Amino acid sequence: MSDAPHKMSARGVSVFYGDNQAVKNVSIDIDMDKVTAFIGPSGCGKSTFLRTLNRMNDTIASARVEGEIMLDGENIYSSLMDVVQLRARVGMVFQKPNPFPKSIYENVAYGPRIHGLAPSRTDLDAIVERSLKRAGLWEEVKDRLQDSGTALSGGQQQRLCIARAIAVDPEVILMDEPASALDPIATAKIEELIHELRGRYAIAIVTHNMQQAARVSQRTAFFHLGNLVEYGDTDQIFTTPREERTKDYITGRYG
Amino acid sequence: MSKSLVPETPTGPEEPAVRAPTDWKTAAMQKRIRRRYAREWRFRFFGFAAVVLSASFLAFLLVVMVANGWRGFTRTDVALPIDFAASGMVVERSQLATPAADLALAGAGLENAVKSAAATAFGPGGEDFISENAWLRVRDAIKRDPSLLDRKLRIDVPASTRIDQAVRGDGDAATRAAAARLQQAGVVSRHFNTDFLLESDSTDPVAVGIWGALKGSLLTMAVTFLIAFPVGVLSAIYLEEYAPRNRWTDLIEVSINNLAAVPSIIFGLLGLAVFLGSWSLFGYQMGPLLPRSAALVGGLTLALMIMPVIVIASRNAIKAVPPSIRDAALGIGASPIQVVFHHVLPLAMPGILTGTIIGMARALGETAPLLLIGMRAFIVTPPGGFTDPATVLPVQIFLWSDEVSRGFIEKTSAAIIVLLVFLLAMNGLAIYLRNKFETRW
Repeated sequence: MSDAPHKMSARGVSVFYGDNQAVKNVSIDIDMDKVTAFIGPSGCGKSTFLRTLNRMNDTIASARVEGEIMLDGENIYSSLMDVVQLRARVGMVFQKPNPFPKSIYENVAYGPRIHGLAPSRTDLDAIVERSLKRAGLWEEVKDRLQDSGTALSGGQQQRLCIARAIAVDPEVILMDEPASALDPIATAKIEELIHELRGRYAIAIVTHNMQQAARVSQRTAFFHLGNLVEYGDTDQIFTTPREERTKDYITGRYG
Repeated sequence: MSKSLVPETPTGPEEPAVRAPTDWKTAAMQKRIRRRYAREWRFRFFGFAAVVLSASFLAFLLVVMVANGWRGFTRTDVALPIDFAASGMVVERSQLATPAADLALAGAGLENAVKSAAATAFGPGGEDFISENAWLRVRDAIKRDPSLLDRKLRIDVPASTRIDQAVRGDGDAATRAAAARLQQAGVVSRHFNTDFLLESDSTDPVAVGIWGALKGSLLTMAVTFLIAFPVGVLSAIYLEEYAPRNRWTDLIEVSINNLAAVPSIIFGLLGLAVFLGSWSLFGYQMGPLLPRSAALVGGLTLALMIMPVIVIASRNAIKAVPPSIRDAALGIGASPIQVVFHHVLPLAMPGILTGTIIGMARALGETAPLLLIGMRAFIVTPPGGFTDPATVLPVQIFLWSDEVSRGFIEKTSAAIIVLLVFLLAMNGLAIYLRNKFETRW
């Protein structure tokens, strides 16, 4: 582990849904130049934990978060933190592609527009083009920016959602099983994209697919029943796991 | 990197045990298939029969209404010869171009002159062949062209209700004989009655018009929409998107659902008590807050009535917006109000509009609550504004259907046709708007 300050660091985070504790005392760091993968069986709390990182759990009335999550040394759960700004700084890509039922251009332009990031139409055009290029979608859609975003294929829709997330220039991107609804070719494109985005953004990704975690991430955290069982470099986790449970999971003994 | 522990291919489930192939040709299997087809056929038959039944009810209603009602849009005229020079009427010519013309002509005895002209032309009792309002037509003609006063002329005036009915084969034998005589003399003609669309209520069925009630309905609907739509939609948004889920919101939800089922006459009493009642506040006696019989009060009362319908429909439409769209907008930092107004509301709009159409259609056809707040008055001038005494189409229909004179039967049907056309126009507009807002995702 490096000594450089972490982009985000969670310390002793627990999440409760009513009386049910979904995440138990988890501490994890997310760094700028690394992709951190969260793996674990269904219902282990990895998605719940991911959603605490930009306070998407706030929308669930019964959810309660304990512990501390720092973004550049600022506690995101403090009363001084503006949730709207936080979510612009910590973007999110969801499991199911969810473009707005608007044009491709409007999908990408929406974020910059509500945050006032583009003072003129030319600036906005530039942001849309840059974001779509970074998401690897520009060549496919540059001639039909006014077509509906929902008319694209599943993989294109997911890359559109990534373009939409990076259009507001976030520092961290959270991805909740971004390829689980896609075919293998679209999945490969998303993984390639994650590679290219690394370094520019701190990335945390939840995945069910262990090969995917092994391919795209540098750090891996293994969750089980709400506990963080093991957390370390991906190479180490997938070759010489310290915990028996980790080993059983990644060799397919349960899942 | 040493060799990964992850298996290259995921292990699949084991092959199922070998099983005898299914025989699809056994008698039991064939019977099951036949039964399935029979059930399918029965279901389609009953569904089709239900559609035919409801369509025939609708067709029956429309045919009866149009058959009875089309005559309400027509008028029987009688060509009346008048010789003003012989009638000895003295009229100050200089006043005919001024607003005092009506008074001058009435004062000069024009009504009697027209009546005696009818008696002269059609024999004794001839003054009963023309409408009581016939002289108004003559008056308007003179105002347009004062030189008529110096000439002998024939002018078309509305026939009386009795003659009007007799020409169509109704009424007693004597009147029918008189009508036949007039027809033989070639003085009877029938026209499309534009006055029916331009005039208001009257005691004489020949002279009644629907415009006053139509305008009253328009004004009332405008008030209803302007109050019920924003309040209903905002309540729905608040309850769906902002209100915490607890006992109070449950209570509000149950109350709204119950309110939608309250009989409309109760809302009439509520409107009467709240808008037209006297209040005693802090020892001060306050009179009725608003004028009675006004479109404003009617609109407010109907707004109270349809608000629950709009709230329920809007809540369902908002609920039906996929949560993924909300997540998407929140995830890039939209504030809750931006999520609602940029994404949820546009997607919910078709459903909200459908609910609003249903509510407005119900309000347009509502009679009972309006009777209680005084909108059943006999009103002969179209309302000039929201606070003028007014009546509405369904109340007008109710009032005319209660009249004794036979002439009102077809006027009632004609008014129903106007109401249905109004309803269709309103629904058409709403469907147009709904299609405009419709987006697929």
